[in-house]
Amino acid sequence: MPRGPRWLGAALLGVAAAVAAPDFEREVQPVLAAHCLKCHGPEKQKGGYRVDVKAVALTGGEGSAPNLLPGNAAGSPLFRYVSGADPELRMPPAGEPPLAPAEIAVLRAWIDAGAPWPDHASAAVADPLAWWSLQPVARVTPPPGAPHPIDAFIRTRLAAAGLQPAAPADPRTLIRRLSFDLTGLPPSPEEIAAFVADPAPDAYARLVERLLASPRHGERWARHWLDVVHYGDTHGYDKDKPRPHAWPYRDYVIRAFNSDKPYARFVQEQVAGDVLFPESPEAVEALGFIAAGPWDFIGHAEVPETKTDGKLARHLDRDNMVANALGTFASATVHCAQCHHHKFDPIPQEDYYRLQAVFAALDRTDRPYHRDPAVHARARRLQTDQAANRAALAALEAPWRAAAGPALAELDLALAASAARGPNVRRGYHSATAATADTVKWVQVDLGASVEIDRIWLLPASDPFNGIGDGFGFPVRFKVEVSDDPEFRTGVQLAWIRYDVTFMADFPNPGLTPFSTGGSKDDGLAGRHVRVTATRLAPRKDDFIFALAELKVTDRAGNNVALGKPVTSLDAIESGERWARANLTDGLAPSGPSVEQQAALAARREEVLRAAAGAEGWERRAALRREAERLAAEAAALPKPDLVYAGGIHHGTGTFTGTGASGGRPRPIHLLARGQVTHPGRLVAPGALSAVTFAPATFELPEDAPEGERRAALARWLTDPRHPLTWRSIVNRVWQYHFGRGLVETPDDFGRNGGQPSHPELLDWLAAEFRDGGGSLKALHRLIVTSETYRQSSAVNPAASATDAGNTLLWRQNRRRLEAEAVRDAVLAASGRLDLAMGGPGWRDFVVERPEHSPHYVYAKADPEDPATFRRSIYRFIVRSQTQPWMTVLDCADPSMRVDRRSESLSPLQALALLNNGFILTQARHFAARVTAEAPELAGQVARAHALAVGRAPSPVEAARLEEFARTHGLPALCRLLLNLNEFLFID
Amino acid sequence: MTNDSPYHRQSPLRPTTRRDFLWSSGGGLGGLALAAMLGRDRALAAPSVGAPAPRAKRVVQFFMAGAASHLDLFDYKPELVKRHGQPSDFGEPVEAFQNGLGPWLRPLWDFQPYGGCGKLLSEVVAPLGDVVDELAFVHNMTGKSGVHSAATLLQATGFQLPGFPGAGSWVSYGLGSLNDNLPTFVVLPDHRGFPSNGVKNWDAAFLPAQHSGTLVYPDAEAPIADLHPHRAGAYVTPAGEADAHRLLAELNRGHAATREGDQRLDARIRSYELAARMQLAAPEALDLKAEPEHVLRLYGLERGPQTWPKEINAEEETWHFSRKCLAARRLLERGVRFVQVWSGNDNSFPRRNWDSHEDVRRDHGPLALGMARGAAAFIQDLRQRGLLEDTLILWTTEFGRMPSTQGGKGRDHNPFVFTNWLCGGGIRGGITRGESDAFGYKPLDRAKPTTVYDIHATLLHQLGLDHTRLTFRHNGIDRRLTDVHGRVLRELLA
Repeated sequence: MPRGPRWLGAALLGVAAAVAAPDFEREVQPVLAAHCLKCHGPEKQKGGYRVDVKAVALTGGEGSAPNLLPGNAAGSPLFRYVSGADPELRMPPAGEPPLAPAEIAVLRAWIDAGAPWPDHASAAVADPLAWWSLQPVARVTPPPGAPHPIDAFIRTRLAAAGLQPAAPADPRTLIRRLSFDLTGLPPSPEEIAAFVADPAPDAYARLVERLLASPRHGERWARHWLDVVHYGDTHGYDKDKPRPHAWPYRDYVIRAFNSDKPYARFVQEQVAGDVLFPESPEAVEALGFIAAGPWDFIGHAEVPETKTDGKLARHLDRDNMVANALGTFASATVHCAQCHHHKFDPIPQEDYYRLQAVFAALDRTDRPYHRDPAVHARARRLQTDQAANRAALAALEAPWRAAAGPALAELDLALAASAARGPNVRRGYHSATAATADTVKWVQVDLGASVEIDRIWLLPASDPFNGIGDGFGFPVRFKVEVSDDPEFRTGVQLAWIRYDVTFMADFPNPGLTPFSTGGSKDDGLAGRHVRVTATRLAPRKDDFIFALAELKVTDRAGNNVALGKPVTSLDAIESGERWARANLTDGLAPSGPSVEQQAALAARREEVLRAAAGAEGWERRAALRREAERLAAEAAALPKPDLVYAGGIHHGTGTFTGTGASGGRPRPIHLLARGQVTHPGRLVAPGALSAVTFAPATFELPEDAPEGERRAALARWLTDPRHPLTWRSIVNRVWQYHFGRGLVETPDDFGRNGGQPSHPELLDWLAAEFRDGGGSLKALHRLIVTSETYRQSSAVNPAASATDAGNTLLWRQNRRRLEAEAVRDAVLAASGRLDLAMGGPGWRDFVVERPEHSPHYVYAKADPEDPATFRRSIYRFIVRSQTQPWMTVLDCADPSMRVDRRSESLSPLQALALLNNGFILTQARHFAARVTAEAPELAGQVARAHALAVGRAPSPVEAARLEEFARTHGLPALCRLLLNLNEFLFID
Repeated sequence: MTNDSPYHRQSPLRPTTRRDFLWSSGGGLGGLALAAMLGRDRALAAPSVGAPAPRAKRVVQFFMAGAASHLDLFDYKPELVKRHGQPSDFGEPVEAFQNGLGPWLRPLWDFQPYGGCGKLLSEVVAPLGDVVDELAFVHNMTGKSGVHSAATLLQATGFQLPGFPGAGSWVSYGLGSLNDNLPTFVVLPDHRGFPSNGVKNWDAAFLPAQHSGTLVYPDAEAPIADLHPHRAGAYVTPAGEADAHRLLAELNRGHAATREGDQRLDARIRSYELAARMQLAAPEALDLKAEPEHVLRLYGLERGPQTWPKEINAEEETWHFSRKCLAARRLLERGVRFVQVWSGNDNSFPRRNWDSHEDVRRDHGPLALGMARGAAAFIQDLRQRGLLEDTLILWTTEFGRMPSTQGGKGRDHNPFVFTNWLCGGGIRGGITRGESDAFGYKPLDRAKPTTVYDIHATLLHQLGLDHTRLTFRHNGIDRRLTDVHGRVLRELLA
């Protein structure tokens, strides 16, 4: 349609003339106000639509935007809804008075006249992008007044509120606080004594350096990080299977913090390490980030992607990846825009699906890599060489292929077809396993009536188990019989023509070639029951079985009279849908050319190609193929790869295929109406948040770019120095773990539902300082803990409390209760049994029952004396469906959800846990044994125990009471009591 | 610089920050710590404008893990009897979890009318006939997924993903405790193990930890974790325990005295007093031996524990389910707010849950009879004690089962329609509201099914809580048990 004034088109059609446009303010606005404004106005914006703001009214709305087509009332969704023209949707909704005919007429006339709307008649709305966290990080100069910039920022605000900072904490308090903050462990009494006695002005600075350099530092801060990314060692959901290869990611995080990996690199490795740093094995381990959260095993492994439930499971899986990435690195709640535009932040639904597109090729899977960098490099070189070899071969053959024409193309098609398989799901009948080959098994079909049989067909099964593939379970010796007696005691006829090759001699694995008995003319068979008896079974990995895909019985007319008939057998495994007796007559069997046929096809292809090649070319080809063989042999000689559970391309079989078969091509991502997989809308290209304006929201990638480029683009976007969220997000997290509360109270949400920064200038100064200083987390820790603000006392000053009860302005340090892991580690430190071995698979404080199906993780049955469990809590094997009960009562992070801040609860159950749990009672005994060994007399033992537990000697009164208790009830009971003190649990 | 954000074209969203209806600090800053621990902060439950008047004080949820068949228990379909054995035809393509779309399968048991209301019940739940005039059936429940894990989470927490508080956690958070000496929210799991997702069905997720469901095993040596010292603590003696509590309180008070203004320290001292009281109160509450003979008979428990056969059987199921029901009654009487009773564990072999893909008669038979005896006794027991009127009972499961057969004797998942029933706590008895279609395949009125959001909204409503206002802010969203949905089912109310 030619471009021109719309009203002209309308006028020419004679629909409505632009003669009498109703006056918007006098006639139209009252109609909208009376009928629409309640749900589509300043209070509510249902469907993202409002009629009081001109721009939104004309262009907005989620489902049907634009709702107004100036000049075309009949086509305008708004008009269709209010006039009753749309059978699906009627506005106003049922229960509200409909528009009067006159009102409808006004709207029609107004829209047909071009919907004229004077700008002054539109409500003003604040710019949604005008929000603190979306503004560029400001370069701020610290105010004067204190040598340490942090103190300067803090004191300026305190002074304005008429408040003073608290006095410095005493050295004993300080070293305890700093040790827990930087390493998660208490200082030893000796370390405390040395620090308290050190008069040097740099004593504190040296302490900071010593603790930052300790390997315990990475262990402590990795735990914080794993809370945020919701790391776990099992999948969660139904059946909650273990993830034996998750831990390399956990160790990666510990190493990253210990080696002070620059933050930008840390972020990039976790999102796209394989693409951006292919030379580094660590960069593969880092991808454990993408897979850290829970995974619905059944939704993937038992429901294919073609079913709605399978689509839903994969959609929710990507949702988890998106929420994890944007929440962790950018403190953005993009997951709220799954079903509709974000209700509070400027995040449209497109943004959310753009981010889903970034992860669209991925699944959670075990990724092979080589932990040894030298082997990793060799493997990579081999991969490169193999790719080059393949490319050279392809380039060489290209002109020959063109010359060979359709003959070659046909052969290629035939070869490709020969790789196609039969049913993946209903594989066939499968006997119970046997320990020896010479075990007799049989399976039989009841044809329902006696039938004259032409031929009996045995169709081999196929199963990738242990690499067996075609001919899986096909018996090595067997016979086929027919009888009218289901017990095969009388009137048994033998299909005898091929009896010698199957029963008298070993029958070679037939691949997928069907076996058939002789015909009726040869064997003369008739009967109601057909039985196959295996007398020598096919080998599996460690046992022997009998399996068949299909048993066909054809009559003279060639009909399969066994189809759908009941099957009985001596025994069987019934394994879901795959292996079931009924599958033997379901008409489904894998098929394909025989090995010989395939070889013949391949040979024929060679001939055709050779004819087109010429002698010299053919020689060159042979050389390249020798090279390929050499490379393959070298690759095969590499050590067995290590595995890490990570985001990656899954090469699966059966229901959970992943995208491996398509070479990792990303799944198409549609914008889903209301987030429903049954309502896909338009396709969405990969990208990120449109409200972050330094870069386009859609990544500018070629359509056929490999999937890794999408993640690389996201990684670069996240770590761009201009990013307003990333740098603020991380410094705020670090601040929170040092003060118990972030400068923004909601570390995972910098949007309008989150908090505003209490000290915006300080936040920006820290973010810029951190970013421009190379993203050193250790430097950031140093900066924070050397401030006087950090080092001040936590004592409450009633006057200050009256002004700022929540201590938002930091007129004191916050007293904090130890987290579950710190409590546990501190108990082990006190008892002297802490094992500081680092890394490797997680230790387990549970017994696994019924591991074969749905593992039960039973904590109550574990032995609290197992020394393997005396390691630091960071190395605990973390189960999602059955969280460790003792740790959970102490507010341990739930590995099924992202935790930006631990809650701090107090309950009688917590008291019981610290009094009565086997761990506490066992360690209290070790604690007592330790102090008995370290001090000769009771008084000394009590004093030593007290110092180990709370970092100071008991007062004389306390000592007297404690000694009396120990004398009466024993040292173990005393040590248990010390581990229950408030002073043990709270850090001043 | 501009890009393709619609916010460069328009400015639609409300820029104000919503204020919390309830405090959401997670108990972090002391001021509310003691009150929060006790769950007695009336601010949480303070009636606000528009809040409904409470009709119930406590809740019992019966949860049938594995998906109980509505067709074989409560939702009679003569059409299936008529068409038994004929090829099934749903009139549309159907995606079933294991493609169990065999011929129509009639109910495995016969149905008969019961009570004044004449409700038809399957003979396998006949004991419920005695109380059927108290029950309100909803036959048009619909779910979202036919996968056990997601569906169980949806019915238990209102969300398909792990990481959301169980319904009992929300009630604990909203109303607090009736008895400081017992947990507020108790879970009685199947004695054989947890359902799909394990503790994710009842833990507090982002709510403070004290709102987690506390696992109670009435017949176990340690019915509540860590209630008494682990065997590793043989050195703990009763006399030592009393002295330890005294000295601990004394030292903790001394510590708190030099750290004024931190209520958490006082709250923690108090938590040890409550712990000591719970050590007495919990065993007393769970002492089923204290029940008189006629009560044990009511529950079918008079014969005591037996040696059961290896195969699943109704006597054993009755024993276990009734023990849980009786324990639930004793806990509710003593002020526990919310009790969740599970029947069936996860999906393993041999099957010990309601997921009857292979054989409905084999699994549903014993499970249903055991459940029906226990639940019927429980309702009668509450009624005779005057507790039924302010105790809300909800019977539920993750989804229903198909009217077609899987493999001849089993039934596949049916997430499209299933049955709930409610009872007590201001629910109108003897009624059915919401029907399934003639085959029990989908809701009769597909446009108006009942969802778990409606059930949860109703449950909270009966407790005097407005489901749209019981919120907790987490990761940028004011979370509710009912997400953004839910309608109070007024047609079920007395």
